Amino acid sequence: MAEVVLENICKTYGNNFNAIDQLNLSVKDGEFLILVGPSGCGKSTALRMIAGLEDITSGSLRIGGTDVVDMPPKDRDIAMVFQSYALYPHMTVFENIAFSMRLAGKSKAERKKRVDEIAKTLQLTSLLDSKPANLSGGQRQRVAMGRAMVREPAAFLMDEPLSNLDAKLRVQMRAEITSLQKQLGVTTIYVTHDQTEAMTMGDRVAVLKGGVLQQVDTPKKLYESPVNAFVAGFIGSPSMSLFEATLTGNELICGAFGIRLQDAAFARRPSLRSYAGRKVVFGIRPEHLYDSSLESGRKYQTIPARVTSIEELGSEHIVHLNIDAVRVDSGDPDAVQDFGRTSNAVAKFEPVSEVRADSEIQLALDDAKLHFFDPETHLAI
Amino acid sequence: MTRQKRSRHRLKRAVAPYLYLSPSLVIIGLLMLLPMVTVIGYSFQNSAVLRRDPSFAGLKHYQAIFADPVFWASLWHTLYFTCMSVVFHMTIGMIFALMLNSDRINPTLRNILRVLYILPWLFTAVIIAVIWRLLLEPNGVVNSILMQLGIIGSKIEWFSSPETALHAVTFANIWAGYPLFMVSLLAGLQGIPKDLYEAADIDGAKAYQKLIFITIPQLMPIIISISLLDFIWTMQVFPLIWITTGGGPIYSTEVLSTYTYKLAFSSYNLSQASASAVVILLISLGLTLFYIRYQKAR
Repeated sequence: MAEVVLENICKTYGNNFNAIDQLNLSVKDGEFLILVGPSGCGKSTALRMIAGLEDITSGSLRIGGTDVVDMPPKDRDIAMVFQSYALYPHMTVFENIAFSMRLAGKSKAERKKRVDEIAKTLQLTSLLDSKPANLSGGQRQRVAMGRAMVREPAAFLMDEPLSNLDAKLRVQMRAEITSLQKQLGVTTIYVTHDQTEAMTMGDRVAVLKGGVLQQVDTPKKLYESPVNAFVAGFIGSPSMSLFEATLTGNELICGAFGIRLQDAAFARRPSLRSYAGRKVVFGIRPEHLYDSSLESGRKYQTIPARVTSIEELGSEHIVHLNIDAVRVDSGDPDAVQDFGRTSNAVAKFEPVSEVRADSEIQLALDDAKLHFFDPETHLAI
Repeated sequence: MTRQKRSRHRLKRAVAPYLYLSPSLVIIGLLMLLPMVTVIGYSFQNSAVLRRDPSFAGLKHYQAIFADPVFWASLWHTLYFTCMSVVFHMTIGMIFALMLNSDRINPTLRNILRVLYILPWLFTAVIIAVIWRLLLEPNGVVNSILMQLGIIGSKIEWFSSPETALHAVTFANIWAGYPLFMVSLLAGLQGIPKDLYEAADIDGAKAYQKLIFITIPQLMPIIISISLLDFIWTMQVFPLIWITTGGGPIYSTEVLSTYTYKLAFSSYNLSQASASAVVILLISLGLTLFYIRYQKAR
């Protein structure tokens, strides 16, 4: 077990492309840190640099207090779980798990003892003689975990290990990995583009965009206090809706309607006053928008909106809306584009809601839950 | 649909595949099976082909060739020629494929080497035979280089000396045949997922351990398939040996194919030649069955 410290880590490729720019990150001993971000944000590159599979252009990397920048992967005391699992196809499950011990010259008896222990923990005992091709996705995933565990490393590195599993199994494995990490107490860095994994598994989450670290915090803090519009848009599913408005007195004016703000909103962020008479970006999460015809929405002010489509999920309705306001792009390249440009906001309504597509409704919103960002820098106000 | 119509439809469906196969089956039957069966028949006849009503000879011709020391020498030469060729084709092909697949070599140089290494494959057996006859002449380039380097003291008659002729033709055949392995193994190498090597790096494997534990097992299906095919093809090599040494000197490079050819077209003993051809057929058939079983097992 060890602390992993990245200081001013940069990765520049031959074509002067900066994959990682001045990354500073400290992962505490035993901590479960999630690296999250959209495609091409550099999260896998960062993980591979920690593993030693990519050279570090500049900066320092310490694992357990030792500078490992010039060390080969095998000497870094880490283990990695790959997205594809990278199991050796010609070896049995036993041989896959025991491979590192075999290379290290451990005796047959030692290997058997250790692999048996791990197989028991991961419920792989009956599969030890099988080849990876005969295993299901979940079983392969467990073998990959076993191969990482057998090394008793200072840190686990996991590169989107659940992305090849179906949705149901992913939920199950998410819980298994989390509890295994807690049980083993090994420092873990886990890369994902799935922000549900990010929010549910990690002690802290580091959000990357374009090779630059945006925010590192607990999932709750990231959700409640994003430092910029990108983090606000990226964390949360469906995404926060962001709009441009003009702050006039205590009111946000956007298009044909206004949203009254309470004094508490200004008390929480005093600098918001300085935007009086100027443009400001505001954001609202889908769960803070309500159907005004239901009890839950009655206490909030309303704005006019048009329902463009509804996804009925059983436990809730995801309602796509169009409101008369200019939508602001959070900068997430993976964000689903509305090619029809008919909807610019998303709300989560209770399943009892009776709103129908193509109808005009009064949309209730909890103005205390609004987020504000500078229109130029997109930084949180 | 009436019952009659339905059964006619079923019959059509059952017969259709065989109709599609029939042209190729007819061609194979006429050009391969018929000659094969005829040759097997000849091997049991006296004065086959030469007489209109040849008498049945039983196993006489087989006994004759088994009693002929030249046949056993040919068999031994064939095995030596084939085994050495296959082993070196594979080794050289593997080394070159690994080189061409390596990131450490400059991509431009890699492309040039790729063309150079594949050159032997572009030549016909006759050209290869002529090239090596010129190179290995007593006054040829090879002797002069070896003498200048001080490796040999006097000129060696590579193809004319019974001690060196078999090694020389084997060498020429190795040179001509490695590109098949190289190309196949290179395709195989490019198909091995990179993350297996990365996982092995993390597991602590050194370069040679990655070769032993990942590369070779991953290439095994290709190695076995191509080796078996190469074995079958090399056993039947005729033009290279015929043009370079003609099986001589003093039978030192006689292989089953030249031995059979001489029986048929120099001695006009077509019955014994057929018996010898059947022996080649049986050895090839054994290897082919092994190959088919291996392919099925996969």
